[in-house]
Amino acid sequence: MFVSDCRREFYEAIVSQRVLLLVASDVDALCACKILQALFQCDHVQYTLVPVSGWQELETAFLEHKDQFKYFVLINCGANVDLLEILQPEDDTFFFICDSHRPINVVNVYNDTQIKLLVKQDDDLDVPAYDDIFRDEEDEEEDSENESDGSEPSEKRRRFEEDVIERTMKRRQRREWEARRREILFDYEQYEYHGTSSAMVMFDLAWVMSKDLNDMLWYVSIIIFHRYVTDIGILQRHVSRHNHRNEDEENSLSIDCMRIAFEYDLRLALYQHWSLYESLCNTSYTSASLKLWSVQGQKRLQEFLADMGLPLKQVKQKFNSMDMSLKENLREMIEESANKFGMKDLRVQTFSIHFGFKNKFSASDIVYATASLMENIEKEGPETTNFIKALDSLSRGNLDKLHQGLDLAKKQLRAIQQTVASCICTNLVISQGPFLYCSLMEGTPDVKLFSKPVSLCLLSKYLLKSFVCSTKNKRCKLLPLVMAAPMDVEQGTVIMVGIPPETESSDKKNFFGRAFEKAADSTNSRTLHNHFDMSIIELKTEDRSKFLDALISLLS
Amino acid sequence: MPVMKKHGERMMKFKNKGKDTAAMRRQRVEVTVELRKAKKDEQILKRRSISFSLMDESLSPGEDKRDEIIPLSLEKITEAVNGSNPELQLQATQDTRRILSRQKDPPINQIIELGIIPRLVEFLTYADNAPLQFEAAWALTNIASGTSDHTKAVVEAGAIPAFISLLSSPHMHISEQSVWALGNIAGDGPLYRDALINCGVIPPLLALVSPVTPVGFLRNITWTLSNLCRNKNPYPPLNAMKTMLPVLICLIKHEDKEIISDSCWAVSYLTDGSNDRIQIVVDTGILPRLVELMVSPELIIMTPALRAIGNVVTGTDEQTQAAIDAGVLAVLPRLLRHAKPSIQKEAAWTLSNIAAGPRQQIQQLITCGLLPPLVELLDKGDFKAQKEAVWAVANFTTGGTAEQVVELVQSGVLKPLLNLLLAKDSKTILIILDTISNLFLTAEKLGETETLCLLVEELDGLEKIEALQTHDNNMVYRAALNIIEKYFSGEENPDLQPGTGQDGLYDFSVEKQDFDF
Repeated sequence: MFVSDCRREFYEAIVSQRVLLLVASDVDALCACKILQALFQCDHVQYTLVPVSGWQELETAFLEHKDQFKYFVLINCGANVDLLEILQPEDDTFFFICDSHRPINVVNVYNDTQIKLLVKQDDDLDVPAYDDIFRDEEDEEEDSENESDGSEPSEKRRRFEEDVIERTMKRRQRREWEARRREILFDYEQYEYHGTSSAMVMFDLAWVMSKDLNDMLWYVSIIIFHRYVTDIGILQRHVSRHNHRNEDEENSLSIDCMRIAFEYDLRLALYQHWSLYESLCNTSYTSASLKLWSVQGQKRLQEFLADMGLPLKQVKQKFNSMDMSLKENLREMIEESANKFGMKDLRVQTFSIHFGFKNKFSASDIVYATASLMENIEKEGPETTNFIKALDSLSRGNLDKLHQGLDLAKKQLRAIQQTVASCICTNLVISQGPFLYCSLMEGTPDVKLFSKPVSLCLLSKYLLKSFVCSTKNKRCKLLPLVMAAPMDVEQGTVIMVGIPPETESSDKKNFFGRAFEKAADSTNSRTLHNHFDMSIIELKTEDRSKFLDALISLLS
Repeated sequence: MPVMKKHGERMMKFKNKGKDTAAMRRQRVEVTVELRKAKKDEQILKRRSISFSLMDESLSPGEDKRDEIIPLSLEKITEAVNGSNPELQLQATQDTRRILSRQKDPPINQIIELGIIPRLVEFLTYADNAPLQFEAAWALTNIASGTSDHTKAVVEAGAIPAFISLLSSPHMHISEQSVWALGNIAGDGPLYRDALINCGVIPPLLALVSPVTPVGFLRNITWTLSNLCRNKNPYPPLNAMKTMLPVLICLIKHEDKEIISDSCWAVSYLTDGSNDRIQIVVDTGILPRLVELMVSPELIIMTPALRAIGNVVTGTDEQTQAAIDAGVLAVLPRLLRHAKPSIQKEAAWTLSNIAAGPRQQIQQLITCGLLPPLVELLDKGDFKAQKEAVWAVANFTTGGTAEQVVELVQSGVLKPLLNLLLAKDSKTILIILDTISNLFLTAEKLGETETLCLLVEELDGLEKIEALQTHDNNMVYRAALNIIEKYFSGEENPDLQPGTGQDGLYDFSVEKQDFDF
């Protein structure tokens, strides 16, 4: 069921309990987790944090802890499947689910006792009505019970009016109802998308309890800019509420204090921690617009830089060390030239954080850094190390970890850019009819990086954007993309993601989750739907071709 | 002493000792049948209300309207039925039938009070107006489905001969409706059942059974036949029984589960009688089929098949042997372990009657592996089933040889048996105490009394028997006291107490070897 009063039905219910916190590995979950941890710390709530990267880990974590805990808080996992069915918990176990995955499983919505959904009610959920999908089976059961209980036949029987007709009518009605139910559920479950950010839900909770801090707001800002553009307005109000004193000269805060600003900035990845040139080359937007994978494109980049009047030496230098005079009106200069080169959206409004003299970070850079830390392929300890590191990097006190993340992010962006270029130059993106398909070979440079779901998704998005810019085929511009990369060579598995078409509007709904499921079912392919995003699956390499064939015929 | 007397009384009742067993057994069955019937009636009522609520919700508005327009008032009905306009007659009869088949509480009394039943019966004879015949037959069927008084009203209007002659109607739906009506009349009790038989219902009814008869029709016929076999005091005439049996034997081989079920019930009624009736059924050679049906996945078939075989083994040793030869011992373990308590109970009842047989049959029971499921049931079964299992053990210890009794003890029967001494039911406790006495008698014969004493003590049986000395029931108290006094009074034989369990004296298995000559 949906929780209508988060404070009373959620927070006050768990505040004096021992709580197990299960957190998915995505940046939104980390931010939400940070906020909740801060609240827990305030109120001395006893909790244990367990990171979970997929359904298998979630199940294992539950089984390991179900004897010690009755209260489970799930962040960005659990809403989109029938949780009670997969976990089989005792009746006195309660789940509080704060998850942006949509659609929410209907059983979770209508379970009144054990499942509490922390979901903003104003979200456009369109959950099917109870009576349309559930039906009391009493009638049928009683009927069959009477038929099969083996008691003596009745001594006398009355003949009812049109017994037979009634029964067939009843059966027909039932069939119609079932058909309708299938249709409704199909419509409801067909597309996968994301609802309100979990960090936002947690921040709202903190706000309602008047326990919201500027740090918490920063966590939300990070994620809102990343994915949930629609909530920017609300957030902006919170930002000015928390940071308005900066404008007042007399009450100005110490320079060490944190300030959040909502301001215009360039849509260039990590440029403040890189060189302008590197950032231009490795930002998906500029790289795709200028078609940097081609010689022509490289030329265009030179022309672009010349147009701005920036010397190459300065541009290739660390941004921090660039000439102050150039930096002063850099943004205006870049914007002006960008317009000429067809890059009208290079300027964006974004959140940034300042503290101390030299620390300034933009929200989007933090997302890159945190995500890279989470999927760091260099093993540095047990499975959870990456998660903990990523979580820590969000705190202001852990600048070293954040900088390590920024370095990893640069590596990742370079790898993505090179892979995109090679895929396009060698025509690895093939049209399969209903969708585009690209498969990375074993042995491709950096292929290991893309065995991780978030990195592969990022690559897929960048590749699709670039492909749409490179192709002249109009039909292909409208197609979604399915991308596969080797996952575990020893086990012979590939990881596959499906992403919606480039052209679609801001709410990107993804139908690959259901389609993957059906294709796997119809071909008996050995797949594993382990990720909380249903549009990411793992698949045996031998089963790939029959799986793809089924997917093509399914979507054609 | 009274315990011994009681014991003697019961000894008289086991079929291998005296010939009175069947009576006692049947009495117990009768009680359960009564209970079952009451429960069934509740269920029927329940089903009715369900059917009606279904109808209510599934009726389209259009149909409702039709209902509003058409029905005549009760006065109009009376007028039209008694009048001479055939169209109005039909309409009024149809409305009567609708009233009787639609409403939740059909106003049967009101319809009877209209005095139109004789006219409706008369309509049955209007061979040139088939629709009217049909509507009248249906209306009368539903009137006869009520209480005995309702049925009486139909019969006294002379419906029996009219319906019997309609069995041969050229219109199948009319003859089917007549079969139904006759079934209701037969189901009223032995009086009307025999009235029907005396009016010659059986030959035309049986004539309707043919390879081309539709399944739905056959179901009705089978049910009516089962009602003609049903009820005692008196039993149906032997001749009627002999006429119907061959057809029932055919029907029992049908593939429709409801037909099989109802014909099994019919056979179970026929076997629920004196041994000569059981003999008639045994002679048809149907027992193997019944045994096969006992393990049907359908409860509605398994239940009556088990009942029929259960009835057969209440008969003579030869009749019981026929059931054993048909394979009943091979299927009973499965039924004793069935999930449904009622099946467990009936299976245990059946087993108890086989255990009451001669030692050869008891031996077959052991050979076929019935002891482990019996012990399981005694240990974990439903309480009613446990009671039957206690009877089985009691009969076994009464009729079995010392060797067989030893085998029974070896299969672990003592522990669950002693546990059941905690039951609330004093009759069961008495039987268990008797059984324990029987065991001691055997042990005495074998010179193993001390071993048995120790075994009972080890299993906390002594404690329980001692506790029964304070039981409210005088007989229980005396029986318990008797055992204590006889076998557990003081240290009369201190040197016989085996200080060691290792020398095997504990175990009856050793005795068996001693005994085995």
